[in-house]
Amino acid sequence: MIGGLFIYNHKGEVLISRVYRDDIGRNAVDAFRVNVIHARQQVRSPVTNIARTSFFHIKRSNIWLAAVTKQNVNAAMVFEFLHKMTDVMAAYFGKVTEENIKNNFVLIYEILDEILDFGYPQNTDTGILKTFITQQGVKSQTKEETSQITSQVTGQIGWRREGIKYRRNELFLDVLESVNLLMSPQGQVLSAHVAGRIVMKSYLSGMPECKFGINDKVLMESKGGKSGQDEGRGGYVKSTSGASSTKTSIAIDDCQFHQCVKLSKFETEHSISFIPPDGEFELMRYRTTKDISLPFRIIPLVREVGRQKMEVKIVVKSNFKPSLLAQKVEVRIPTPLNTSGVQVICMKGKAKYKASENAIVWKIKRMGGMKECQLSAEIELLNTNDKRKWTRPPISMNFEVPFAPSGFKVRYLKVFEPKLNYSDHDVIKWVRYIGRSGLYETRC
Amino acid sequence: MPTVKGDGMRGLAVFISDIRNCKSKEAEIKRINKELANIRSKFKGDKTLDGYQKKKYVCKLLFIFLLGHDIDFGHMEAVNLLSSNKYTEKQIGYLFISVLIGANNDLMKLVIQAIRNDLASRNPVHITLALQCVANIGSREMAEGLSVDIPKLLVSGDTIDSVKQSAALTLLRLLRSSPDIIPMGEWTSRIIHLLNDQHMGVVTAAASLIENLVKKNPEEYKGCVSLAVSRLSRIVTSSYTDLQDYTYYFVPAPWLSVKLLRLLQNYPPPEDPAVKTRLTECLETILNKAQEPPKSKKVQHSNAKNAVLFEAINLIIHMDSDPNLLVRACNQLGQFLQHRETNLRYLALESMCLLATSEFSHEAVKKHQETVITALKTERDVSVRQRAVDLLYAMCDRTNAEEIVGEMLEYLESADYSIREEMVLKVAILAEKYAVDYTWYVDVILNLIRIAGDYVSEEVWYRVIQIVINRDDVQGYAAKTVFEALQAPACHENMVKVGGYIMGEFGNLIAGDPRSSPLVQFQLLHSKYHLCSPATRGLLLSTYIKFINLFPEIKHTIQDVLKSDNNMRNSDVELQQRSIEYLQLSSIATADVLATVLEEMPPFPERESSILAKLKKKKPNSVPDGSEQKDQMPKLPTAQMSNSSDSAQPTSINLMSQGSPAASGAASASVDLLGLGTPTQTTAPPVGGGDGFLVDMFDTLTTSSPAPATNGMDLGGLTGGAEEAFKKFICKNNGVLFENDLLQIGVKSEYREDLGRVWVFYGNKTSFQLNAFCVDISTPGDLATSLSVQQKPVGGEVEAGAQVKQQFNMACVQEFTDAPILNIQFMYSGAQQKINLKLPVVLSKYITPAEMDSGNFFGRWKALSNPSQESQQIFKASAPIDIETTKSKLLGFNVSVLDNIDPNPENFVSAGVLHTRNQQVGILVRLEPNKQAQMYRLTVRASRDRVAKILCDLLQSQL
Repeated sequence: MIGGLFIYNHKGEVLISRVYRDDIGRNAVDAFRVNVIHARQQVRSPVTNIARTSFFHIKRSNIWLAAVTKQNVNAAMVFEFLHKMTDVMAAYFGKVTEENIKNNFVLIYEILDEILDFGYPQNTDTGILKTFITQQGVKSQTKEETSQITSQVTGQIGWRREGIKYRRNELFLDVLESVNLLMSPQGQVLSAHVAGRIVMKSYLSGMPECKFGINDKVLMESKGGKSGQDEGRGGYVKSTSGASSTKTSIAIDDCQFHQCVKLSKFETEHSISFIPPDGEFELMRYRTTKDISLPFRIIPLVREVGRQKMEVKIVVKSNFKPSLLAQKVEVRIPTPLNTSGVQVICMKGKAKYKASENAIVWKIKRMGGMKECQLSAEIELLNTNDKRKWTRPPISMNFEVPFAPSGFKVRYLKVFEPKLNYSDHDVIKWVRYIGRSGLYETRC
Repeated sequence: MPTVKGDGMRGLAVFISDIRNCKSKEAEIKRINKELANIRSKFKGDKTLDGYQKKKYVCKLLFIFLLGHDIDFGHMEAVNLLSSNKYTEKQIGYLFISVLIGANNDLMKLVIQAIRNDLASRNPVHITLALQCVANIGSREMAEGLSVDIPKLLVSGDTIDSVKQSAALTLLRLLRSSPDIIPMGEWTSRIIHLLNDQHMGVVTAAASLIENLVKKNPEEYKGCVSLAVSRLSRIVTSSYTDLQDYTYYFVPAPWLSVKLLRLLQNYPPPEDPAVKTRLTECLETILNKAQEPPKSKKVQHSNAKNAVLFEAINLIIHMDSDPNLLVRACNQLGQFLQHRETNLRYLALESMCLLATSEFSHEAVKKHQETVITALKTERDVSVRQRAVDLLYAMCDRTNAEEIVGEMLEYLESADYSIREEMVLKVAILAEKYAVDYTWYVDVILNLIRIAGDYVSEEVWYRVIQIVINRDDVQGYAAKTVFEALQAPACHENMVKVGGYIMGEFGNLIAGDPRSSPLVQFQLLHSKYHLCSPATRGLLLSTYIKFINLFPEIKHTIQDVLKSDNNMRNSDVELQQRSIEYLQLSSIATADVLATVLEEMPPFPERESSILAKLKKKKPNSVPDGSEQKDQMPKLPTAQMSNSSDSAQPTSINLMSQGSPAASGAASASVDLLGLGTPTQTTAPPVGGGDGFLVDMFDTLTTSSPAPATNGMDLGGLTGGAEEAFKKFICKNNGVLFENDLLQIGVKSEYREDLGRVWVFYGNKTSFQLNAFCVDISTPGDLATSLSVQQKPVGGEVEAGAQVKQQFNMACVQEFTDAPILNIQFMYSGAQQKINLKLPVVLSKYITPAEMDSGNFFGRWKALSNPSQESQQIFKASAPIDIETTKSKLLGFNVSVLDNIDPNPENFVSAGVLHTRNQQVGILVRLEPNKQAQMYRLTVRASRDRVAKILCDLLQSQL
């Protein structure tokens, strides 16, 4: 289990240090600083083993979070916890920065005491934590309130308290996807996958039970025999996506749910049903690898003219419905390390040689579907006595599109609240799809 | 055009402060990438940069490189800077090149050209910069390119002193990295004379250079001795006010003095009496100065003074010629032994260790024994205590051995773990070396095992067993002592091993006492049995079977133990086999067979103490034993010997191997009772056995041949061991004649009538080539006329691990007594090595056996009744009389053994014919053994005068 948790600033100064177990000594704090933060080479592995002690770290902007243990723990669990920890901190005081941490250190220690007990992670749900860890002064609680908190924390539905009331029952659903791609210069897909998340914001009264339907192949097939109606509806839903309008269901490789989802029901009935926490939470994560509609294609053309010059020509093609608009498109073209000068011409957007990053950065604010843009550049090179050939790192790209590249669809989301007098139709539901680029690279 | 000119380099300062202000590593990398792109575009640009800009950018690149980033351009610009006339630009250029341009860069040629230009310049600052750069890089290519320029600079009259100083040190650097390139021949005398230079700095730099040169070629630089001595005496006699700049805390030129004293340590004491007196005066002055009260309380003053003093003492020890100086040095060190400063005490102990080995100062060192012992007990630093142990070991001799060993034993109980093992070895060696009374020795070793059992290595307890077995007088005492020691409730496993072995051999000697009756002995040993490792258990099992032989009355008890499941079905195969085989042996064999098989172990061949070898291996340089360092003791690995003389299989082992136990044990387990060391025969010295074959280090221990072997050459300049090796070849033709760490010499010979052919094999055991290898054969006295020797030449080198063969043809002209002597000379690691050996060519080799019947024999016997034709000797057998062995010896002597001739069947009768070039001589031999008295009567008759006498002597030496 986790033996201790440290937070450092970019210089390696300790901001927060909380030790949960005796096997972690004071020197562990320094060991991490010396061997990871101040290491000569950049440490790329998130897990470092120093003197039989394991350090798991994540970095948020300039802040290092490190969990320490001497035992053989589940690394995925530790990282999950660290990410949760940052989420909790962000929920309390906004951005996780050195300044904010210093200003809220008492609060952070309080949170740490609550969410880790002798190194075992406890309830990390922000909504619940906020009910008993507040930034306001402590007000003396009545006996009922205290007992309520106890039953809340120890009870069956630990993520939602009773007696929540809203005048307007609203529900927001975001499907957020990031597309990862590696493509050969000839346009062959070498690897591609989509990592998606469904984030939900619920403002519902009482203890509502929700049912959620998606166009997952397995779910649809199992339902297919039982109710043809669902099948039909799934087939006729008007797609907002440009590319995957024809196919009706997608193959999800793996998925995971928020703790509120009843897994037993998912396993037996293949339905996703849950009582949502109040406020924002991540309902589900999934991954797909098949039939991904790639929003952009890059066609690179790199020609070395002698040892002193190089010509680069890049074509970007958008590949989705013309009615949709991609935003924040950015293409990054790496340049050789001995570049001494660059001339760039592009038809659309702005392109600039950034010496500090050894790359040409081409930014296009908006781009419609089924369009094509071109950039050409002349790179001057300096002779060096380094005989190694330039390795030609891949061209990478960033963008944001208003559809799910995996073809993911929300088929329905039904709300039942038997005790209170509102029905599924009274709930206002909003659904949004956002596709972003992950590691979207083309070799050149 | 830059706005700021001069040395400021504002751009650089801005860049550095930007980097320092970076919040994170990423930001720093970004800033650096930006700067690199900027510099690249500047260097690429068509417009030419001026010197200042070039300097600034090169400087930035250097800074980026020092931050840990690769720099792959800008080298050309840096080389361009070298041709600038401005100091700062040149300096940055050289700096960049020293740091960034590797030895095998393409630009090196350009750089060397630039350096050569600068070396030729008139400006001393430029020359010094160039020299510095050479010294920093010091590549082979540079050494090649500048091998003439730098020495020229060094000896030229018009270079200024500071340049000379740099040149000397640069040259030293090049000599160290590529010693083969610099041709020094023509500069020798002029470089030596730099020691006479006015400027002390130049002398100091030159002294370092000359010492390096001297190490390479001492002969060529011999002239420096007198110069160094005179320079030294000038420094030593000067007062501290004389050498203004070179006086360090009131000590005149301490560094130079130390260097000169070191330089002198490369040569033997000067032969010229004037120089010698002067040097002695110097050393005396230095010793006198040590007595003066310090001129300053500062630690630097005493450090400098003591540095000179210790170096002087080292020189005194190195010369080892002046007893007066040695004793004075020793007294001085004695004072330091009680000094407050730990470092001084350490150094004093270390130097004294060397002094103890010198014959002149050994006695003087001994005076400080008390102090050293106190140091051993009270020093806080373990390294100092270690030195104290070394010194005690070095100063130990017969007079103080008992005391020192006692102190060391006492200290051992509380000693640091790190030095325990070494101390144990040292105690064991000293105890053995200086033991007058062997009961004392046994006590010491048993104490040693008791106190520090874990650190007692196998060699130590092997050795004590060897000694106990070889000396009858301590056997009883040893048995009694181990019996008592084993009665302690907890004793170390090594103690059990020693106890098991000794009681198995000599348990009968104490069995008379009811307190140590056989059963008690057995039960005592068996009570330890279950706590021991399998190896020890195996040894104990062997002890038990020996007990069966010694004490038949407890046979059944022991058989029960052997029969127990614990042994008979032990998971350890070795134990299982032993118990089953021993059980069978004890139940099947008759008492006689048992007695023969389990006879008392024969004495071990004397050989170099294995402990000493271990200590040497552990600390190759720290065994300050005079006799060892001077000569190459012949060390013969025993295993090899027993292989080479496979004809001489000991009979006792043969007996055992006929379907009886322990044959496998004897071959495999080194702890086996019977397999310990070389198994030598019980009944008679084997033909190839090593009895008296090796000269032991410790003359006091040699029982059979008390020949003092303190010096490697004994008896007519023969290398140690040669005489013994020679003897064993009288009855055999092939084998290893000599062996030490460097060389193994084997002999193979063939004789036909009066002609003999001898091949000598020289095997190089080192991993280096032996140079100037030459072999010469000499025939002392009248041997030259009686033996005609032809020698085939042998090559000058013996490669590492190789073997060289040389053939000799020896024709016997007439009878002779002496043997030809082989003189072998070669160079090994710069030192001349000499080995003199007797080549085993004796008269008996030219005999061929002859057959005859009884009548014929006695007819001839009577015919040779002239007193000059007969030689008779009555002597005591050197080993127990055994018919078979004696017979094989006679056959090896090349005479026939005739049966049914003598009325007494015990007697041997032999005949042979000696072939010389001139005539054939008939030989008749009669050997009458007397088993009761262990005596022989040997009669030899020969048809020629003298021959009988010679052969009689030869044969006697073998019996």
